[in-house]
Amino acid sequence: MRRYILFRLLQFIPLLLGMTFVSFIIIQMAPGDYFTQMQMNPDVSPQTIENMRRTFGLDRPVVIQYFFWLKNIFRFDLGVSFSYHIPVSFLIKQKLKNTLALSLFSIFLTWLIAIPLGIFAAIKQGRWHEKILSFLAYIGISLPAFLIAMLMVFFAARTAILPVGGTTSVFYIGATGWEKFLDYLGHLLLPGLALTFAGIGGLYRLMKNNFLEVLGAPYIITARAKGLSPVKVYFKHTLRNAINPMITIFGYTLSSVLSGAALVEIITNWPGMGRLMLDAVLSQDLYLVMASLLIGGVLLIVGNLIADVLIAFVDPRVRLR
Amino acid sequence: MEKVLDVRELKVALRRDVHRSETEILKGVEFSIGKKESLALVGESGSGKTLTAMTVMGLLPENMSVKKGEVLLCGRDILKMSQQELRDVRGVKAGMIFQEPSSYLNPVFTAGNQIFEAIKDTSLSVKEKKKRCIDVLKDVGFTEDIYYRYPHQLSGGQQQRVMIAIALVNNPSLLIADEPTTALDVTTAAGIIELLKILMERYGLSLLFITHDISLVSNFVDKIAVMYAGRIVEITDAKMTMDMPLHPYTEKLIACLPERYNSGEKIKTIEGSVPDFHNLPSGCPFHPRCPYVMEICRKSEPPVVKKYGILVRCFKYGMSMET
Repeated sequence: MRRYILFRLLQFIPLLLGMTFVSFIIIQMAPGDYFTQMQMNPDVSPQTIENMRRTFGLDRPVVIQYFFWLKNIFRFDLGVSFSYHIPVSFLIKQKLKNTLALSLFSIFLTWLIAIPLGIFAAIKQGRWHEKILSFLAYIGISLPAFLIAMLMVFFAARTAILPVGGTTSVFYIGATGWEKFLDYLGHLLLPGLALTFAGIGGLYRLMKNNFLEVLGAPYIITARAKGLSPVKVYFKHTLRNAINPMITIFGYTLSSVLSGAALVEIITNWPGMGRLMLDAVLSQDLYLVMASLLIGGVLLIVGNLIADVLIAFVDPRVRLR
Repeated sequence: MEKVLDVRELKVALRRDVHRSETEILKGVEFSIGKKESLALVGESGSGKTLTAMTVMGLLPENMSVKKGEVLLCGRDILKMSQQELRDVRGVKAGMIFQEPSSYLNPVFTAGNQIFEAIKDTSLSVKEKKKRCIDVLKDVGFTEDIYYRYPHQLSGGQQQRVMIAIALVNNPSLLIADEPTTALDVTTAAGIIELLKILMERYGLSLLFITHDISLVSNFVDKIAVMYAGRIVEITDAKMTMDMPLHPYTEKLIACLPERYNSGEKIKTIEGSVPDFHNLPSGCPFHPRCPYVMEICRKSEPPVVKKYGILVRCFKYGMSMET
């Protein structure tokens, strides 16, 4: 097992190199760069723009630029943002915290609700319990997250039940640690719940279908023929097999923590990575885009690794290899 | 003789939601198995063999329901039992093994785990239970280390022996074997049959053996019941069947056996196919394929008659029990 993980970690290196190289080239393939828009400005002389290009290394061939960027990465230097004129790492650090809080909150809540509901519905398949739940799930799947977020913002603004926008209230300064936490949580609730509502439906359906499929497996007949109680049939024999595909999905979910919430972040004005990345891409803020892609790539690979290790942990057939 | 299993006039129907109608699949199945006796249910696929076995275990699928009849297992009607009572009976009075052991064992638990959990005697300690598991494993010809193996680490024959161990761990009176050798190769299958013979002796088991291969069971079980389209058409002493089949269907089944032919000779088949349950022929369901068909066969269903001590459903042997 340890050798397997080590092997997988080594695989990361060529994978990340390839991924960053390709994205670097693609970004640079777009016509112009960040400073192109500056040329429209009559107040900035062409000489200044040339100088800035040189300082940021944009006058050199793309491949050379990539290796300079790579060299800096190994020194944990993500470069400087063109538009903010501050180090990318500093910029991302502020926003990453908020995005992680939002994503992890909604992922946790989504799984906490969807998995038990899926199991319950599978057991009650065809009865009214399941029909109501599946109908609600259908609605949930049909509504995109940003629409739910918009409706919730509207609702919250009308009723003032939840704070709208930002991460802190006015009285944040001077509040105690616990009060600060509660205030932050209150602001997190609206985008967090919007994402949760949007995510439950799909996950519920997956869990329900997995569970139903396993319930039809021959070894469930064996379990029943042994005279086991329904609790054992469902929660020992069925669940252990039905949860396997969910673990793979959990791995993918981890990889989307960075970008999965982008639209909702923008709509609810949650200061996370979403807006930052969108602006960076639109204005061709090269190093900022690259840093976001790098973090996203690492998360994707790590998420998959975690999923694979967990699968090996629960499924003896995988463990052998 | 004391009866371990007594099935009387069992009728089971399939509910079809589309038409809100019911189709009878088992149309009055009747047979019984005495203590230490073995009976084989023989018939083509779709004749209702497995369904009969599932009814005995109280494991009918949700879209099936018992319309009539009694299934007395060790003297108690399982059709009248509550779910809890059924669970208490399963495994304890009757154990069951299936066609494809690889898919009937849960892939994520060890063989030992799956035998262990089947033990119903709550008075045993964990240690005693484990000892019981290992005893059963030894009885089916294993050493102790199989206890810790996962199903995918075992061969097909070994998996089937684990299934047998699961079925026998509570020392049941009846073992139901639903085509236990079909998925195995010939030598492994022979090994399983030999093992079943030994275990029947050691455990004092009665056996309900389901198969489509009449030659497999003819020198191994006591009685053979031939099923066709949801009915038992003939129940005979196993030793007599091969030489003196009474029902035309049994006769045809035996005529199809490859070992009856010399090399190069063309093997006969039964013309036509098993009738569709939703659209059974009138009268005797076998009449479209029967070489001896008479006018009456198309009109009414033949009753059970007794001929040379054999129960048979065919007009060839008369119209009622008296003749």
